[in-house]
Amino acid sequence: MAESVRSAPRGRRRGGGPVTWPVHAVLVVAALVMVTPFAWQILTMFKTTPEASRVPPTVLPEEFSGHAFATFFGTVPFWSMFAVSAGALVLRVAGQLAVASLAGYAFARIPFPGREAVFGLFIAMLMVPSQLFLIGQYEIVRGLGMLDTLPALAIPGLFSAFGTFLMRQAFRTMPKDYEEAARLDGAGTFQVFWHVMLPMARPTLAALAVLTGLYSWNDLLWPLIVSPSGENRPLPVGLAGLQGQFGTDYPTLMAGAFVCSIPLVVVFLVLQRQFFAGIASSGLKG
Amino acid sequence: MTRKWTAAVALAAATAMLTACSGGGSGAASTEKVTLTYANWSEDQSPAMEQIAAEFEKANPDIDVRIQTLPWTEYWSTLQVGAAGGTAPDAFWMLADHFREYAKGGQLVDLTESVKSAGLDLGVYPKAVTDSYTYEGKVFALPKDFDTNGIWYNKALFDAAKVAYPDDSWTWQDVQDAAKKLTDKAKGVWGIAAPIDPQGGYYNTILQAGGQIIKPDGTASDFASPASVAGLKFWTDLQAAGVSPTLKQLSDTEAVSMFENQKVAMYFSGAYWAFRFHNNAGLKGKVDVAPLPQGVKRATVTSGIGNAGYAGSKHPEELKKFLAFLGGTKAAEIQAATGTVLPAYQGTQEPWLKAMPEFDLKVFIDAIDYSVPLPVAGNAAEWQGLAAQYLAPAWDGAKPVEQAAKEYQDAVDKVLAKR
Amino acid sequence: MTSTTTTPARRLGRRRAGVSEPGAGWALVFIAPAVIGLAALYLWPFLSTFVKSFQDVPAFGPATFVGAGNYTALLGDEEFWKAFGNSALYTAIILLGVPLAVVLAALVEQAGRGRAVYRVLFFLPVVTLPVAVGMVWRFIYNGDFGLLNTVLAWFGVHGQFWVADARFTIYAFGVVGIWMSLGINMIILGAGLQAVPKDLYEAASLDGAGRVRQFFHITVPLLTPSIFFVTILSVIGALQMFDLIFVMLRGVNNTALADSKTIVYLFYEKAFVQFDQGYGAAVAIVLLIVIMIATAVQFRLQRRWVFYG
Repeated sequence: MAESVRSAPRGRRRGGGPVTWPVHAVLVVAALVMVTPFAWQILTMFKTTPEASRVPPTVLPEEFSGHAFATFFGTVPFWSMFAVSAGALVLRVAGQLAVASLAGYAFARIPFPGREAVFGLFIAMLMVPSQLFLIGQYEIVRGLGMLDTLPALAIPGLFSAFGTFLMRQAFRTMPKDYEEAARLDGAGTFQVFWHVMLPMARPTLAALAVLTGLYSWNDLLWPLIVSPSGENRPLPVGLAGLQGQFGTDYPTLMAGAFVCSIPLVVVFLVLQRQFFAGIASSGLKG
Repeated sequence: MTRKWTAAVALAAATAMLTACSGGGSGAASTEKVTLTYANWSEDQSPAMEQIAAEFEKANPDIDVRIQTLPWTEYWSTLQVGAAGGTAPDAFWMLADHFREYAKGGQLVDLTESVKSAGLDLGVYPKAVTDSYTYEGKVFALPKDFDTNGIWYNKALFDAAKVAYPDDSWTWQDVQDAAKKLTDKAKGVWGIAAPIDPQGGYYNTILQAGGQIIKPDGTASDFASPASVAGLKFWTDLQAAGVSPTLKQLSDTEAVSMFENQKVAMYFSGAYWAFRFHNNAGLKGKVDVAPLPQGVKRATVTSGIGNAGYAGSKHPEELKKFLAFLGGTKAAEIQAATGTVLPAYQGTQEPWLKAMPEFDLKVFIDAIDYSVPLPVAGNAAEWQGLAAQYLAPAWDGAKPVEQAAKEYQDAVDKVLAKR
Repeated sequence: MTSTTTTPARRLGRRRAGVSEPGAGWALVFIAPAVIGLAALYLWPFLSTFVKSFQDVPAFGPATFVGAGNYTALLGDEEFWKAFGNSALYTAIILLGVPLAVVLAALVEQAGRGRAVYRVLFFLPVVTLPVAVGMVWRFIYNGDFGLLNTVLAWFGVHGQFWVADARFTIYAFGVVGIWMSLGINMIILGAGLQAVPKDLYEAASLDGAGRVRQFFHITVPLLTPSIFFVTILSVIGALQMFDLIFVMLRGVNNTALADSKTIVYLFYEKAFVQFDQGYGAAVAIVLLIVIMIATAVQFRLQRRWVFYG
């Protein structure tokens, strides 16, 4: 806010430079609309249940009540679900980075018969809605006897046509010189990939990690299906269940939504640059 | 194909285990603890379930029972996926309207023999409940609890409007009149909650009007008969009179929450809420229950949860033992004494009444005399799922009740014809 | 890493001979995990879903072939068409978020040092669990005491039951959908904006073109590839909407649910709640066809409006 006040006259003084105050006026209004739901959520989670459904609503809680958090932590096994969410995320991200970068490198740099055809098949897969795979994936996981296990949450996400595509694009745009130089030094194919190419693909790897992590963290449908006995369920499932139980205890629901969202929000705030770069690169290369 | 193979492998594994148990040294078997899972959908009841499990473990030190509480919204899809995938809980709660699909699909453990060998007399349970868990003459679940319906009412709101509390003399007209007097729009208080609720609501009034829900042979429904329409009109009249929150309001905030938030004075529903209202500090001293009103006659539907076992369980013998225990007096007494729920086992109900003396709970037991089993023909879960969609126009006043009832009847009959 | 070693290679003149490209054998090793995984977990499930869409698959028991039975049932099913219409309407609303994102992204690029703050604020919904988002908005949309109706009442507008009245549910979802995707779209578009050469603007302002003119004549045309990409993503995402309806309408006895289902929700309900997998599979295949047509149409149309510099 203070900045907009300061920069506006400066812009004008330079003549021809942008006048920024209308820009900020629009953006501040838009940003307010964006954060209002969060503000309302945070205010509500400290209210008592009757106060939350009063007509007309109170803005600030009349008395700060912590009951919502007590109810939430008393009902949802937060830490074990958090561990499941985090574990599934790590498995999925690590696995997908490995699988996708290997395949992406081959598709970009190692000629082999039928390469274009196989890659075409990968691209076609991008078009298919993920829901269509669910039943078959469920049957495979069941066949492997892996229902209700942590790896089951990550398995389908290890393999991604999108990830392979993203990595291939990254490797394709790299100069060939380094690769050839390393090979002349006697490096083998895998060494070239590992020591030369992969480090150069770091920005794309970060992008893929961010996007995969986001999907993994948010996933609701797959864990519901693959974890029938209720073991190894991640946070979104616990949160959805909370609603079934406390359908109209809004402070508890708001507190649950808040607590379950916070971990990723914190990660985002710390790794902002990687998030933005990752998402931007998916756009540029797609 | 794959399913057959899985079944074959499971069977082989089960046989191998059984032979291992009987053939191998009994010393080895006794040291290995068997774990059974027991699934329910009620956070309210899970402490009592834990207590029952502990009691069972005391008598059977080689069996470990794990209680699993799933959210109601996820319970049935989870159970179904688990049963098809071979990972369902060993023991679980069953409801009459889902029962037939499971029994027909061979997913439930046949308890007929266990009942005999454990010396259980099925006569100790309400017949309506036992019948709803019998398929082709075989018993597949033992009644856990049962419920009939009554009028839950808020004494404070009745006092404020100076209306006499409901009692067993009340007729339909009394409910309509009281609802009008109790409604105070300025305060945001309604006389009654009139949602599209089969079990607590319109099934009862259809029966009270002399109608029936499903025709006796189970092949067709009967929602459009004059008596049934009268039973539905009981509710649509309340909506039309503006003495109930609208359907939209009841979609945003469900009826029981409206009652708990003290926004509605009367709520027709089952015995199963007693424990929740009892535990709600905000309602202390404000809530009581009265019998359902009389229409042409007295009537309430009755049903109950059954304890069933999964046919694919890895420990069928231990499972049967556990299910027999769940059907016995001890389990019933724990449920009653904790006030959790009205147990199905005859003679164990007294402690339940005493656990929550502030409510006139005898109402629910007296209602057994005029109770009718909850209708469960065909794929009941499927046709009941259509109710909101077809009946909402009648509740909203957008369609005449007769027309909505006829359309719903046709839709239900289509489902019934499928099987 | 230096590249000094290239010189000896050239000098020796045995570049090709000495550093032969890795053989097809290596390619096999490299792509094997991805190919095996995709074949097993995507291609096979796809084919199996395809086969099932021609079968009657009961909850418990063997499947039987019913030819095109599921498809004819589905095409004659009012519920399916309702869901189809809902998904189409939702997608249309989500597309309105694209021009909004373009304008806001352009503004953020000009916000100077405030840029970082705005980007974070607009991005917050992206990193919030969709389930949490649904819960918060369900509360805001409450007809009796929701924040939205309270605010509307200040302006004398009588509120509605946004998520309990089937006339409004899809629009209510649409607003949330836009709110959730705005941040991600703005980042993608922002990257496109940064690639627009700055001297174009300088030249334009020397010619006397105002800010608005510059926006429509320089920014938008040069941004069309990014806009196109965002549009494709939005359509595919919108057609697969599921989480919002799952948390905003289920759980309570919501009478609006029957008329508010989307295609993916219908698929979930058929395949995993009612366990009519054959019918569910047919729903999924139809969804695939819809997405393919929608994407093909967009690629066709892009020739008319997307500007590749």
